[in-house]
Amino acid sequence: MTDTEPILSAEGIEKGFHRGLPPHRRLVEVLRGASLEVRRGELVGLVGENGSGKSTLMKVVVGLLERDGGTVAREGKLGYCPQTPLLWEKLTVDEHFELFARAYELGSAEATAASGALLEELQFERYRGYRIEDLSGGTRQKLNLALALMHTPDLLLLDEPYSGFDWETYLRFWEMSERRRGEGMGILIVSHLISERERLDRVYELSDGRTVEA
Amino acid sequence: MTAIAISGAEFLREHLRARMTLAMLVVLPALFVLVSASVLGEFAKALGGSVAGDSASALGAGWAAAFLAGALGFFQVSSSRGADRRLALAGMGAVRVAVARISASVTLGLLISLVAFATLLLAAGVAHPPHAFAAILAFALIYIGIGTLVGSLISDPLEGSLTVAFIFLIDAFSGPGMSGGDGIAQLMPTRKAADVLIAAGAGQGSPTGDWIAVGLAALGALALATIAFWLSARSRSS
Repeated sequence: MTDTEPILSAEGIEKGFHRGLPPHRRLVEVLRGASLEVRRGELVGLVGENGSGKSTLMKVVVGLLERDGGTVAREGKLGYCPQTPLLWEKLTVDEHFELFARAYELGSAEATAASGALLEELQFERYRGYRIEDLSGGTRQKLNLALALMHTPDLLLLDEPYSGFDWETYLRFWEMSERRRGEGMGILIVSHLISERERLDRVYELSDGRTVEA
Repeated sequence: MTAIAISGAEFLREHLRARMTLAMLVVLPALFVLVSASVLGEFAKALGGSVAGDSASALGAGWAAAFLAGALGFFQVSSSRGADRRLALAGMGAVRVAVARISASVTLGLLISLVAFATLLLAAGVAHPPHAFAAILAFALIYIGIGTLVGSLISDPLEGSLTVAFIFLIDAFSGPGMSGGDGIAQLMPTRKAADVLIAAGAGQGSPTGDWIAVGLAALGALALATIAFWLSARSRSS
């Protein structure tokens, strides 16, 4: 169910970070012209070694990091699941859903239905009244993923979204992703596991700051 | 309720659920007003100042509010930066996140000031209660600005909280009635609020010029805090 027009197009992305103090300050170039595309109904992987810049590229594409060069074009609603769960420690699971429902401008009934379905799908309903500080790493990660999905985005960007998942949840995650791909969602997943390549429609490999379609 | 009001309420709840915050809210004002009042007088003497008695108690309440507000302002930014940025990206926008954060901060500042003021009133009494409350609130608001600004510049919790504590110490010990208050001490952010608070403690009023200066310092600090929250919630270059 792929369109010819990409829902995400990133071209020639450049990004560097200044490190150290003067006079030893230096520029570390992480991305040196990385490019990628994602179409509707496509499940695309972004792989590379640790420190190759996968998360940096994801943050630039999402808009969390300013880029030094290149262009990014996106269409439709965006869902983003960061590698490390970005949550408020003292708030509960339900309170997170409420905050993000407001950010996504979901109506009350729509928000309740969406959060209920995700709590059931990822099987963590019993934790909805728990504060984040009282959750395990895996359950935090479930919420991290659910918050990216609750508004049914057109484009879903996932940065190693299953770290901390047990095997059952890991398999359920792939079922969920494949089902959403079938419904037309464009999905980009950052991964470093070669074994996952068979699940993906296309794979970009990031090396020396540039992407190559593998 | 609007998205800003709901977010502001959640951010406030987040802080009030921290046991240490609640404990400090009760303990610090009592410590500063009851214990520090006499110690403050001794310090003032050693530094060449003259603050003592009711004025020292009133000043203690102001410093308690300042210290708590500065610490909470810092942690509002440093502990929530990533999640706030994600919420902004999800559609809330950095401006609305900043407004929700500043509304939570001002509510916290009011609460801190009320507790510090009530402690002062119960423990030592104060001749000019409305003046004293306004000055204590100004201490809190000014330090919300300082705490959030430090939080937006320094992300490490240890380095950031030490920086807030360092500014607090310089401010406190160079204030009126302490080291004399000349030279650079005139430029310290709580200078006029301390003048008003000392006067309120001694049962005296304050000139209009002092009140205008206190108002400008508090509003300036809140503007600074709003900018700091906005900077923390928007996309960044590194």
